Amino acid sequence: MSLTNKTQDMPLPPDPNAPRPTIESGPPATTPAGRLPINTRTGQPIQPRPQPGYYPGFSTLSQQKFWDEATRRVVLARVNNPPPIRFFTPDEARLMRAVIERVLPQDDRDEAHRVPILNYIDDRLYHNRIDGYRYEDMPPDREAHRLGLQAIERIAQTMYGQPFIALPPDQQERVLKTIHDVEPPAAHDIWRQMSIQRYWMLLVQDVVDAYYAHPYAWDEIGFGGPAYPRGYMRLEGGKPEPWEVAEQRYEWSGPLWAVSNEYGPIGAGHETITPGQEGTH
Amino acid sequence: MAVLSPRRLATEVSQKPLVRDTLAGRRKRSGWLWLLEHTLARDVRVVDQHIREGRFQRGLALIAGLSAVLGGLEVTLQHYRGSYSQRVMYSPVFLSPLVLLAGVWGFFSRRVARTLLPISSLLLLGDGALGFIFHVRGIARKPGGWRIPIFNVIMGPPIFAPLLLGISGFLGVIAAMLRREDDPPRVKAAGLPGQRPAWLGLLPRGITREGVILEHHVREGRFQKVLAAATGVSAILNGVEALYPHYKNDFTYKVQWTPILLAPIVAFAGFGAVASKRIARTLLPLTSALAVLNGAIGAFYHLRGVVRRPGGLKHSFYNTVYGPPLFAPLLFAATGFLGLLASLLRRAD
Amino acid sequence: MTTPHTSGDAVMESPLAGAFDGATPGAHMLGPIQTLDTPMRRYGPHDEVDYVIVGVGSAGGVLIQRLARAGFRVVGFDAGPFWDTERDWVSDEAGSYNLYWNDLRITGGSEPLAFGANNSGKGVGGGSVHWAGFTPRFHPSDFSVYSDTGLGADWPISYQDVKPYYELLELEIPVAGPSYYPWGDPHGYAYGPHPMGGVGDVLINGCTKLGIGVSIGGPVAITSGSHGDRPHCIYRGFCIQGCKVGAKQSTLISHVPDAIRHGAEIRANCMVARVNLGADGRVTGVTYFDPDGNLREQHAKVVIVSGYSIETPRLLFNSACPGFEQGLANSSGVLGKYLMAQAGTVVLGRFAAPIRMYKAPPAHALTEEFYETDPARDFVRGFAIQTVGPLPIAFAKQMMVAKGAWGWGMRKVMMDYNHWAALGFLGEILPWEDNRVELAAETDRHGLPVAKITFGLHDNDKKLIKWGVDKTMEVMYAAGAEEVVREPRYAHLIGGARMGNDPRTSVVDGFGRAHDIPNLFLCDGSIFPTQGSANPGLTIQAIAARTADYLIAQGAGVVNRPPRAVPAANPPLRRDLSPHSTAGRGMPRLKSKTPKAKLGLGGLAAGNRG
Repeated sequence: MSLTNKTQDMPLPPDPNAPRPTIESGPPATTPAGRLPINTRTGQPIQPRPQPGYYPGFSTLSQQKFWDEATRRVVLARVNNPPPIRFFTPDEARLMRAVIERVLPQDDRDEAHRVPILNYIDDRLYHNRIDGYRYEDMPPDREAHRLGLQAIERIAQTMYGQPFIALPPDQQERVLKTIHDVEPPAAHDIWRQMSIQRYWMLLVQDVVDAYYAHPYAWDEIGFGGPAYPRGYMRLEGGKPEPWEVAEQRYEWSGPLWAVSNEYGPIGAGHETITPGQEGTH
Repeated sequence: MAVLSPRRLATEVSQKPLVRDTLAGRRKRSGWLWLLEHTLARDVRVVDQHIREGRFQRGLALIAGLSAVLGGLEVTLQHYRGSYSQRVMYSPVFLSPLVLLAGVWGFFSRRVARTLLPISSLLLLGDGALGFIFHVRGIARKPGGWRIPIFNVIMGPPIFAPLLLGISGFLGVIAAMLRREDDPPRVKAAGLPGQRPAWLGLLPRGITREGVILEHHVREGRFQKVLAAATGVSAILNGVEALYPHYKNDFTYKVQWTPILLAPIVAFAGFGAVASKRIARTLLPLTSALAVLNGAIGAFYHLRGVVRRPGGLKHSFYNTVYGPPLFAPLLFAATGFLGLLASLLRRAD
Repeated sequence: MTTPHTSGDAVMESPLAGAFDGATPGAHMLGPIQTLDTPMRRYGPHDEVDYVIVGVGSAGGVLIQRLARAGFRVVGFDAGPFWDTERDWVSDEAGSYNLYWNDLRITGGSEPLAFGANNSGKGVGGGSVHWAGFTPRFHPSDFSVYSDTGLGADWPISYQDVKPYYELLELEIPVAGPSYYPWGDPHGYAYGPHPMGGVGDVLINGCTKLGIGVSIGGPVAITSGSHGDRPHCIYRGFCIQGCKVGAKQSTLISHVPDAIRHGAEIRANCMVARVNLGADGRVTGVTYFDPDGNLREQHAKVVIVSGYSIETPRLLFNSACPGFEQGLANSSGVLGKYLMAQAGTVVLGRFAAPIRMYKAPPAHALTEEFYETDPARDFVRGFAIQTVGPLPIAFAKQMMVAKGAWGWGMRKVMMDYNHWAALGFLGEILPWEDNRVELAAETDRHGLPVAKITFGLHDNDKKLIKWGVDKTMEVMYAAGAEEVVREPRYAHLIGGARMGNDPRTSVVDGFGRAHDIPNLFLCDGSIFPTQGSANPGLTIQAIAARTADYLIAQGAGVVNRPPRAVPAANPPLRRDLSPHSTAGRGMPRLKSKTPKAKLGLGGLAAGNRG
């Protein structure tokens, strides 16, 4: 019986009084090490690994025999058979891939464990699966993505005089940050055709839709994954189920040059907060 | 053992000289009571003697009633969590107060102790067995059924809880067979059959005969083995019933291990006492006393757990229902009490 | 790195007897739909049936069950599939895409609403398939908002008219909740409350610290205990992805099987294109696209439209015909107007200790302490605070809005997913004429014009949201959160074809009968004049049961308009029409005293209010 096999002790919240080395700067963005997140306690870059996050050893896929057949089929297809690129042209796909790598960077994942976000977005657009509505100040999703890529390319040219994909990651982030802040320095004719903040939300939503639907991402954030017919028993107190793993925190930060480390409202205060779109109650 | 006629049995009973002399009684008295001799000597001796002679019907009737109502309160709360979605879930809720009523009334009335008490206790015992079947079925009917036993036993109906309630019924049945404290020490042979409860007549002859033998043993306080075995069974049930909710709580507190570690030892002592008189006089009372203590401590911790839940006393009803079960540790204590009682009895041989 | 299987023991890698595969994946994993052994009745193309119901969702499911049980010939249409819950539904956030109404709608206005997964279902069971299952009743004050506050609208019926149906539906669903629910008309629930998850504990802690009352463990449409062939909840948190367990009620599992058993036909994947009007001013049936896309017609004595707040007006607009150029039954011009959504701002708090909010149903505790108008505040009406439990994708989108997270920041905040708890603010937005449904220029794949929705907030709504969200954040801080952020959004839809006594200012009467057409009924959330700050699901089903009782009581005479001079009395309550094995379960419960005199005269009482 496993009943005596206790999982790890409950994690302690980080001690606020512990001496914390303040790291002013990490490796520059142009170096390979500079692309990696950093342990701000040790100052060391965190090397690529199969599973980032605070839950080492946690694997939702290891529990797949406890899932019902329909769910297992859907999730395994997602993992094993990423759809081909059919909507984006090769040029668009290259640019879109670069954009996605900054909207949701996976530099700390080893090659075998990266989530093919682009493929899922392409598949959605190829099949024209929409969320059931379109804002009146937005073109259809397919068009919006194409227009957005053009705009990003033009902002990159305006800001740095180079194509977006040629820029180092910190400059790429600054290009995207202008859209996040709803003050892009270029492509105003495109922004007349669609709302800047709605495009930004469309882009980020599509990316997180693909990434956080993946078991690798669930393992990273400690989400239990599918739960039928076996549900949960430790409902309170944040305790892990016997097959889950207790959190093991460390000081994790994106590369120190990353402007996306900082949180700020979409529109940077220029606009009122745009309502979210996900149904939760 | 040769077939005994009631007459022969009664003759045997009358031939055994009862121990009255205190000095002689010291050695013969049940193992651990001599500890109390200097303080409570006289009362204890009386109680001890009553138990050894099977003359504690009033006491046991009361105990059966109280333990039934403890289990009844627990089941009332637990079935509320299951919304009484099956009508049969009401049965222990109504039967356990009935046993309490029978037990208390039986304390005062010989007649009730011989009629209502055994009937209601048997009903409760049967209800416990029925409940066990329903709980097994309830687990099977959860999604995944018995194929994911760890999850479904923990989140399904508590599998052994009905049997625990059934033990209260068992106590009531035993109590009905005993003699009363105020019965004369020597029972006249002629009086015996007439005092047997009428319901025994309904049973088949073979069972009746075994029943008569058992009943005589019980009436003489010679059922240590039976009660020790019951203690063992009850300890195992309690242990399992403590194991999985504590596992569900991930053994957040180390003390949650204690009933799980103690229960097998009590069970060992209980079953061991069936085989060995020595264990019955040493290990059984010792571990049983620990179980009583453990149950009391558990009850305290559970109460504290209820109070410490979000909302605390402000949402006392909800927190009682969904907090740690208040009465479950007391059932473990009751098991310990059963063991203590068993250690005081005489053996059939 | 440790190995992936830290549990290190075979029990945690596979169930006994292996994975759950095959036609019978495990005992009792098939729900009421799969185990239904009655073949569905099929009406021929030329059969005239008694009732056609457009949309078999929360209202349609209850209606079709009642009418079929009463012996009527009834056909229900749904644009989406007839779900086989075990094979079609998945325990996965992204994989549940098909549950929602994902056809195009155009949304605009100053606060454009989101649709799809947010509030619109498609397929038999409708929105009840993916609601979180909160089932509070409306308060008595919800039925007289205009009389009480001078804003909003009054209902033509009162709380007392609906109350018996609340009590009935709470048993049929069944609603689990506390034995005493203090707000509105105090009452208790026959099914017991649920255990708490991490978020519920946060709400209880925060409310208790601030001295705010809180209802623990319900009311939710989730079984706490078995219910007929439906098992007890297993606390897996996938309520809004369709409950495969069958513990959370949808009409698909609670009412539709009983309807089929009693001879109802449900045509799934059939999109109704228009309601047809005859020369005598009565509707004759519907024209619909069958699953292969062919236009077909179904004749019926009575048509009931239950398409919810967007599709019901859209269908009536699309059914415009000579005599009703601006939409069927729209002589008032009110059709599509007074659309409402509830302010559903999500307040998220980060805690030092893990919460793991994906466990337990998202809906499991709430407070209605601030539901009623408080003269001390500078706005009328109020709000509720409820638990929610966003899964990772929803949470990531909330972080995108609430913190502006993206890039490495998104990765970082998502790695803290298990430390966050979410509370849902649910605020009443009043009905305003300029919040409306119209037709857009664009068409769907059938060539039918799609709906265009315009939505914005007015002064009272903004003040209410600000005050209420601040209060919700205060609760979150009181519970011990170290960081609290919020994501504005809107939940639920109500209105668009409101009921009333005056044919000039409303589309239907108190029983959902169109003022303009005697044998056309609307029955869903679209006919509600106001919405309260209670989740509308229970009230939609209760109103449907009441409408069904009215139709049954009218019998064949329902096609004729009753004389308007006689106030419509409540129909006799038909307790005998509950679905099989739902009556008489659970516990005796607290019922508040209902003044007898009021019960029978709801129409009259409402008539006085105008």
